[in-house]
Amino acid sequence: MDIALSDNHLMIQRTVRDFAASEIAPYSAQWDEEGHFPAHIIAKLGELGITGLIFPSKYGGSDGDMLSLVVALEELAKVDSSVAITIEVLTSLSGPLLLHFGTEEQKQKWLVPMLQGKTIGAFALTEPDTGSDARGITTSAVLVDGHWAINGSKSYITNSGSSMTDFIIVAAVTGGDEAGKKEISNIVVPKDAPGLTVGSSYRKIGWRASDTHPLFFEDCRVPEGNLLGERGRGLAQFMKVLDGGRVAISAMAVGLIEVSLQMSLAHALKRRAFGKPLSDHQAIQFKLADMAVSVDLARLATYRAATLVDQGLPHKKEAAIAKLFSSEAALQAVDQAVQIHGGLGFMEDSPIARFYRDAKVLTIGEGTSEIQRMIIARELGC
Amino acid sequence: MNIIVCVKQVPDPQMPMASFKIDPATNKLVPTPGIPPVINGYDEQAVEAALRLKEANGGKITALSLGKELVSDVIKKPLSMGADELILLQDDAFEDGDDYVTAHALAAAIKKIGEYDLIICGRQASDFDSGVVGAGIGEILGLPVITIARDIKMTNGVIRVERVVPDGYEVVEASPPVVVTVSNELGQPRYPTLRGIMAAGRKQPTVWSAQDLGLDTTVSRMKLLKLYQPDKISQCEFIEGGSPAEAGVNLALKLREAKII
Repeated sequence: MDIALSDNHLMIQRTVRDFAASEIAPYSAQWDEEGHFPAHIIAKLGELGITGLIFPSKYGGSDGDMLSLVVALEELAKVDSSVAITIEVLTSLSGPLLLHFGTEEQKQKWLVPMLQGKTIGAFALTEPDTGSDARGITTSAVLVDGHWAINGSKSYITNSGSSMTDFIIVAAVTGGDEAGKKEISNIVVPKDAPGLTVGSSYRKIGWRASDTHPLFFEDCRVPEGNLLGERGRGLAQFMKVLDGGRVAISAMAVGLIEVSLQMSLAHALKRRAFGKPLSDHQAIQFKLADMAVSVDLARLATYRAATLVDQGLPHKKEAAIAKLFSSEAALQAVDQAVQIHGGLGFMEDSPIARFYRDAKVLTIGEGTSEIQRMIIARELGC
Repeated sequence: MNIIVCVKQVPDPQMPMASFKIDPATNKLVPTPGIPPVINGYDEQAVEAALRLKEANGGKITALSLGKELVSDVIKKPLSMGADELILLQDDAFEDGDDYVTAHALAAAIKKIGEYDLIICGRQASDFDSGVVGAGIGEILGLPVITIARDIKMTNGVIRVERVVPDGYEVVEASPPVVVTVSNELGQPRYPTLRGIMAAGRKQPTVWSAQDLGLDTTVSRMKLLKLYQPDKISQCEFIEGGSPAEAGVNLALKLREAKII
């Protein structure tokens, strides 16, 4: 397997890096502090083609590969994880669900505007009483007079309540067999569907400029035709999509490790203690060396998983390995970056503090570290 | 209309001065790993000017670049922004050439391209800031040259340029073909779109050598006596004032005293 960045990947990397440096970095701290969702940036990323990066040009995409998305998300996460996760959700969850399982009409209605950067879409699985255990969901959808009547609630749903939000793909129980096995289906719920209430934004420790809400469905009615793909295939649909999502989250972790290393190294070369730069102290050198090892290995694991996706080869285990390793390594890297920055790293004046807060959720979202270990063990044959 | 844009790959000028090293024996910049190459900023604006003209009038944009060790994903940036074609002039014979050799080679390439209404260059390049290549091309090709443009338009077959002068701008018109050099007042160049990048990835640049152009590269006219980094002396004075307005007045007085205004 050949893992190499082509001219295209390098041009994408450079473009996203330049864009992030001039259009995002100067404002990230403020958006984070105010919990402000930067809709205009998502729209601009749409104009550049980042939102449509890995989608077919037939739907307004750019025909890029998974490695392109990885490179782009890495660059965004180096500057602003909130922007990165907003893009990640629509390129790795709601977008692929529509692309792979939606009808032509559904794609034209919801996918095309999203890839153009005009709208965003969410995927709602987690509930107040169920997270990792996807089969445990209780939100129900029943067919009544040609409409799905949805009841229940969802928690921690990214992209679900912003000014740009257009639709939410809701995983719901649509039936079951006599043995008690649930039939789970995915249904597209437009933001303005009657009976849908979007709760207030959560107060989060990180990703504060991303848009996250609880959702409440009280006899929420959507047309029968909003069913995504085959009835009862909901679990299989998102299991297929989640593997790609893990590679994308892993890319965000790589970005955080890289920026932790860059900033820590720059600080260590400049800051002096006991008559010499921090970088001359072995205690600091070892931390920097460990970060360099982490970023290298996390990136290799991520690029490998992305390359397998692009080659159409099985990647379940590799995606889980990349997500597990990279997110755990990112937590260590931001921790050590704060340590190297000392008091400065503890101050919100430095982006390091924001990176420290942003890193934690990487070991939780789109499959916790524990779930990744379960997947890996299962793939080993356990 | 057919537009040719000259672009140059330079070391990233945003890097701190200390990271640039000069070899006094050869009077050359020592290539330093870690200084990434970029397209000269003014040249990106030249590409932007060409793209705006193409959007308004249609036509074709050919990017033309002379240099060594050109990095493929860097030098393809004009293509990813929307240029139609990229021609690279690459030859060891160009290596020790001065600005005259560069202008000579670019002019020969432009002649070889044949059909053109407008040649756009950045006003100067951020590596050596000579700012003479654009004018040199005009001189060699016998074309009018309009420098330091902030806007270029083509109406009724006439090129109309807003040219930056110290206290504003002047409007100059010329019949094509004409050489225009562009300044930063033109505004931000666009970001390449992903679709543009994908399209650029599929395009292969044309490469011409000195021989392809039938060029004599021994026509250098400049002798470099010494290349060195100037000592950096910075003096900083804070202008005080009871209010922002008063501080402004004090600043104006200081500047007048120093004969800056």
